[in-house]
Amino acid sequence: MPATDFTELTTDPIDITSVARRVVPPECGATVTLDGYVRQVTKGRETLHLVYEAYEPMAVKEMQKLVEHAKKEFEIANIGIVHRLGKLEIGETSVVISVAAPHRRAAFAACEWLIKELKRTVPIWKKEVYADGEVWIEGDLPESAVVSGQAEK
Amino acid sequence: MQLKVFFFGATADAVGSRELELATVETTTAQSLIDQLSQQHPALVKHKLLIAVNEDYADADTILNDGDELALFTAVSGG
Repeated sequence: MPATDFTELTTDPIDITSVARRVVPPECGATVTLDGYVRQVTKGRETLHLVYEAYEPMAVKEMQKLVEHAKKEFEIANIGIVHRLGKLEIGETSVVISVAAPHRRAAFAACEWLIKELKRTVPIWKKEVYADGEVWIEGDLPESAVVSGQAEK
Repeated sequence: MQLKVFFFGATADAVGSRELELATVETTTAQSLIDQLSQQHPALVKHKLLIAVNEDYADADTILNDGDELALFTAVSGG
């Protein structure tokens, strides 16, 4: 089966090796893979578990836009992105981004760009559940399309 | 006109629902819809909100059409 791009959401545990191997075409010699997983301690507070939620159809569209943009900007072959949703325990993988390229420098640069942009634009939200409470984490606001209740822009 | 509005995470908690169907009679912008919603759900506007219309990011001035699907949500935190 030819290697191809893919952007997926799943509620199952992510098999990192399988994601990394799915992007490999014959002309490439290296794949850079980011494995993002749940940390136990954040800003001094101990996490019990996380919950991820997504606006699923828009999240897949936004991930596909990132893949298209990265393929124009970087000399890379294939990209695979899988993000997990639902309840995640400490240490479990929440996101895998694999980039296959003929040369590793472009693969590293593209992988870094992709995780940065995913965290900025893809409509997925993380809830941190602590022993003494829980909170939906709010990321950094992008430059566009921001409104508060009092119609300031 | 009929609109569907989706909420996620903190905005879903604020409104108590992940999906609302709304009817409006006038030409409506995204901002005026948010103002309308915030009267019944004041907790909604405690957050800086992002807007999507038909699965694309939109701004507050975007004019809504019959059958549009909106989403209102806080700054994303995936990854």
